[in-house]
Amino acid sequence: MIKTLFYKEFQNYFRNLSSIFLPLIFFFLIISIFPLLIGPDKVLLNKIVPGIVWITIIFTTLLSSNNFFKDDYNNGYLETFLTSDSSVEFILFLKIISCWLFTCFPIIIFIPLVSIFFNISMKDSFIIISTLVIGSPVLISIGIFGSALTLGLAKNSILVPIIILPFFIPILIFSASAIESVSSGTPYEMQIYILLALLVFVLPTMPYLLKYTLSLSINN
Amino acid sequence: MNISKIANLKFFFTKTKNLSKFLGYLTFFLMLGGIYWGLFVAPSDYLQGESYRIMYLHVPAAWLSLQVYMIMAFAGFISLVWKVKIMEIISIQCAPIGAYFTLIALVTGMVWGKPTWGTYWVWDARLTSELILLFLYIGIIALYSSFSDKRQAVKITSLLTIVGLVNIPIIHFSVEWWNTLHQGPSVTKFDQPSMHISMLLPLLYMFVVFNLYFVAVLIKRVQLGIYSREKKSKWMEEYLNG
Repeated sequence: MIKTLFYKEFQNYFRNLSSIFLPLIFFFLIISIFPLLIGPDKVLLNKIVPGIVWITIIFTTLLSSNNFFKDDYNNGYLETFLTSDSSVEFILFLKIISCWLFTCFPIIIFIPLVSIFFNISMKDSFIIISTLVIGSPVLISIGIFGSALTLGLAKNSILVPIIILPFFIPILIFSASAIESVSSGTPYEMQIYILLALLVFVLPTMPYLLKYTLSLSINN
Repeated sequence: MNISKIANLKFFFTKTKNLSKFLGYLTFFLMLGGIYWGLFVAPSDYLQGESYRIMYLHVPAAWLSLQVYMIMAFAGFISLVWKVKIMEIISIQCAPIGAYFTLIALVTGMVWGKPTWGTYWVWDARLTSELILLFLYIGIIALYSSFSDKRQAVKITSLLTIVGLVNIPIIHFSVEWWNTLHQGPSVTKFDQPSMHISMLLPLLYMFVVFNLYFVAVLIKRVQLGIYSREKKSKWMEEYLNG
């Protein structure tokens, strides 16, 4: 069953290839706009690039999870699987994972390329990638929670970021601090452990929360 | 008298009309007394001089900003689980009051920060987490106001409030850990409060007065909430027409 579900999700994303490439292109566009705004100062850029990467990841996750359930809601698929006897939580978990795979994962793969552009050392680049790998699934699932909350609304473009951004803050703080610690040569394990703890806490509980939110949003 | 009777919207609306007026006047006079006590009677601080006196507004507002959030989440939880109508209204009407308290805490803190730290704003842990709390409140109000079906809106915002309640300690811990410049808590140190009793008493008094104010405003707002929800119902028309 897992295979079929995964296959269905993959098909959904692959049928519309732009949905994979657009987040990636968006990411590169935002990244390359920053030097234009701040100026081509190498030292400054090198210092703030981790922050830029994280801001861009925030934008990407917010945009890609904004109308996450809209299509499924409009064509009735959502109601069908909420009332079906298969494990709804598991389907939601797979949906979160595949959303991450097709929006954040391509970006993470291309982080080494970004590091070359901005002259970031191997060690820093590695820590950026590891914080992204741990942190971005949490961001994606919180963003999906926001889109589930606003499912009943016709227009919710700016609302979801306003609701959701405060919830991002712990992840952002610990990621930024881990990156900062590596580049200043101090221990960074603790921040990584806390990020992992947040991931382990959020990912398994989120499907249950999502199921409850969706049932509230639909039964109006 | 049982709970279901108090929870009845009609009962609440008709019985608390005079109570909120009474509480309002009471709060006004008690607040005048508290301001006199805090601004003129309490001794001045040996380190900060007179500028510390803004604490008598700042600290109760900051405490209330968190307390109101907890009340809001608690009422939201009850309204989600037991579908108590009055709790739905209480939960959502807490949000603007809490946002105001957060704003008061932030503004008074900035006014205090200028002579003490030399700048209105620093990105310090407590200021930042208070600011994030304000954003949480604003998000809740925005989410509520964008639904046209208000019962549905309350359900969704209650859920957001409860999730936010889980998140507040995490945010607070992370921000605290991120940067700390604010002076440590000086009232809740149980072994030996680092504040003299003659300064502490007016503070606790102001805290009680702020709580009274909160209850008075909440009752008024809940009455308005009941009115806007029930204005087409029969009992409301009968009540208003005499």
